[in-house]
Amino acid sequence: MSTINFAAREINCKIVYYGPGMSGKTTNLKHVFSKVPGHLRGEMVSLATEDERTLFFDFLPLDLGTVQGFKTRFHLYTVPGQVFYNASRKLILRGVDGIVFVADSAPNRLRANAESMRNLRENLLEHGIDVRDVPIVLQVNKRDLPDALPLDMIRAVVDPKKELMIFEAVSDKGVGVFETLKTVSRLVLERLSQNK
Amino acid sequence: MIEPSLALYGDAFERVDGLIQELLDTTGVRYGLLVDRKGFVLSHKEALWAPRPPALDSVATLVASNAAATAALANMLGERTFSEQIHQGENGTLYVESVGTDSLLTLIFDASVPLGKVKVYAKKTIGQIASILDELKDIPPVQLGEDFSAGATSLLDDLLG
Repeated sequence: MSTINFAAREINCKIVYYGPGMSGKTTNLKHVFSKVPGHLRGEMVSLATEDERTLFFDFLPLDLGTVQGFKTRFHLYTVPGQVFYNASRKLILRGVDGIVFVADSAPNRLRANAESMRNLRENLLEHGIDVRDVPIVLQVNKRDLPDALPLDMIRAVVDPKKELMIFEAVSDKGVGVFETLKTVSRLVLERLSQNK
Repeated sequence: MIEPSLALYGDAFERVDGLIQELLDTTGVRYGLLVDRKGFVLSHKEALWAPRPPALDSVATLVASNAAATAALANMLGERTFSEQIHQGENGTLYVESVGTDSLLTLIFDASVPLGKVKVYAKKTIGQIASILDELKDIPPVQLGEDFSAGATSLLDDLLG
């Protein structure tokens, strides 16, 4: 559940971008950072390796404004996608309120998409969270690749029951980035209102 | 509910705030933050003479992540936890210690302030804050209602189009 600080009249929500390595999670955050007015966003913190792979996480705070007297803020995180950084991924999921799963459209990443979703379910369970208890939105990224796999094929491996809202994106051009973030944020706020 | 959150209400918040201020006054610490384990700032105080504070959201996030990583390391080494972290630089020190299970007291101070003194006074403050946080555990969950959702969604439209 989001952290509500009554005295300071603040509500903070945590949204995590999850997905296989190089699927475009950091690119999503960079686009948000570049487009949101400076007074509504904080510093972007990136803990990355020399070749710009996320080592621990990226972090970007976003101010939504004041609602019913509460300053409402979203903290956006990415996790490292590489398989061997699972300990970091597990830590970042602590206290998560909403998740954007970023899948890669490249044909050779189909299996990585499936494994990352399985890993997400396992890590959530280790925090005692059933995957159905947290809002998750599926973003299928890199739709501009000439050999991009059909949407249905990607969905079949990460969301076979078709339970998640799905967005097509080209994150390095900003396509679909805000739509995805807006939807997951709305889902988080709805749950907050329902006190779940 | 995904994970319990800390909610600081009026009187409790004032008392926590007062304790952190007292700690700053006694020790000469520059900034004092109470951060929850998820990386959100619960309370923040700065000494009157301190320069503009750093980006507090970022500090809180990194402190909480660092504490989580340190705890994972402790487990790997057969320890239940490492309760305190000290990062000493040329000009300043960052000192972090657990307050109960849900939060972290974070103190930032100059090299001129003796670490030993800070640790002694911090431990006393931590005990007092932990008791206040314990009192808050039985507080009923917050009811925000549909109006909150509608208002927030409207702001989302403004921000993200």
